[in-house]
Amino acid sequence: MTAQDTLRDLKAINEKYQMFHAMTPDTECGDAGFLFSAKDNLTSKDMETCAGSRILEGYHPVFDATCIEKLRSAGGKLIGKTNMDEFGFGTFSTNSGFEIPKNPYDLNRACGGSSGGSACAASVIEDHISLGVSTGGSICCPASFCGVYGIAPTYGRVSRYGLIDYGNSLDKIGVISQKATDLKKYMEIIAGKDDRDPTSMVQPEFRTAYRKIGSVAIPKEGVEGLSKEVEAVFKDAVEQLRSMGVDVDYVDMPSLKYAMPAYYILATSEASTNLARYVGMRYGHQEGDHSLKFDDYFTAVRSKYFGDEAKRRILLGTYARMAGFGGRHYAKAREVRQVVINDYKSILKDHDAVLAPTMPFTAPRFDDISKMSALDSYKADYLTVPANIAGTPHLSVPCGYDSDGMPVGMQFVADHWNEDILFSVAEDWEKQFDLRRPEVSI
Amino acid sequence: MMDEKTVKDVAKFAHIDLTDEELKRYCKDLGDILGYFELLNEAPGCDERGVNPIKVEDIVREDIPEVKFDADDLLRDMDTYERYVRGPRLS
Repeated sequence: MTAQDTLRDLKAINEKYQMFHAMTPDTECGDAGFLFSAKDNLTSKDMETCAGSRILEGYHPVFDATCIEKLRSAGGKLIGKTNMDEFGFGTFSTNSGFEIPKNPYDLNRACGGSSGGSACAASVIEDHISLGVSTGGSICCPASFCGVYGIAPTYGRVSRYGLIDYGNSLDKIGVISQKATDLKKYMEIIAGKDDRDPTSMVQPEFRTAYRKIGSVAIPKEGVEGLSKEVEAVFKDAVEQLRSMGVDVDYVDMPSLKYAMPAYYILATSEASTNLARYVGMRYGHQEGDHSLKFDDYFTAVRSKYFGDEAKRRILLGTYARMAGFGGRHYAKAREVRQVVINDYKSILKDHDAVLAPTMPFTAPRFDDISKMSALDSYKADYLTVPANIAGTPHLSVPCGYDSDGMPVGMQFVADHWNEDILFSVAEDWEKQFDLRRPEVSI
Repeated sequence: MMDEKTVKDVAKFAHIDLTDEELKRYCKDLGDILGYFELLNEAPGCDERGVNPIKVEDIVREDIPEVKFDADDLLRDMDTYERYVRGPRLS
């Protein structure tokens, strides 16, 4: 499929898979060197940007996020903004005010979240890369469920200018693609210092030269609670890694089990303050009753347009920051974050990467997701949140398929700023892995 | 189960009105979630408590005046009155 074919068929593709919330009206690709899409929490000056939330409906930014600006400057054409959980609040891209993307391997199943539309687009469209954003696992989870490669780089590697914040100390922009080689190619474009995001200014050189991986460590706690099928596929993948000359050791990392509650305390605390800016003025819906006093006006707009999960996380984060409770759990969550960082660094003294399955199960069916409680959904993130609170780079590769043909992913975690080892192992893996593309018919 | 008064107080502070059905649901959900988070009590502590996962330095850029965006472009999607952003009354 050529770029021209993709643009011609884009509407039909989207009707089937619902990966895009907004799409280019163009049917000609002109002199574009490549096509890309971006998660809808990255501002784009020619497309509506809603971050999956109805409260931002009608928001047309006047500027591009740095990562989008850089891809356009490199010859890329933005073809769509991808569907996602509202503000990134979810594991399945079902917590959206708009369309819910469908898994390319089974339309009755979810794409994962919260960059579900991005992973769906990367899986369905040939030669396509999509920008995702990870706060607690939102790149690797959907990459795993949709059978593609995805990288969330070190915190601070890619400028967050133009990203609609979820958790400022956690958000990372990365790349999702069918090809491991694309991750390095496009990360090289979007990485780098940007004085509009001070956290990007401390980064060292972005290394991309090949560096053969020698050993991985698998935390024993990272292979607990897996579905039988994921456990079996992962076991085979580990044997395959060994046959590629990679040493595999099992290690203890007890802090992993505390990462999930620590993540949700930190992330919702930050989110609840970030979302205070959405009050029915300046952005999105502004048709509230101006005869109301300002507190009542703000409350009316927020109550009407925030979705269920956004309200839940605002309440959770607001409570976590309140005196009494906050002094107890918020401070402890910050300590746990440091403990997890220290544990990764300790393990990575003797190993090149830490490895575990990306998700404990394959993409669930929508009717099963609807029966899950909020806590069940949070618990599903226990394998992806540790690297995210640590800010360490992590990359998911497809590593096999279950008996229904659904993809299974495994996630490599490296030390801060060591994306090069992740690119290298992903490219080595890609050379011997038999990727099964989904059947795409429109 | 979190008590209704606490959830109502938190919601008021967060500028969110809850329906009766939402109040019941969030009382249960927050109770379940925070009950599980008690796990943090047994987590090992640490003397370090950074805000960011990497060391971030204060880096300032040159303060150069510029007009980066056209005011009319910025106001395009905003509810305005004579080029002022409209908002609710203050009292």
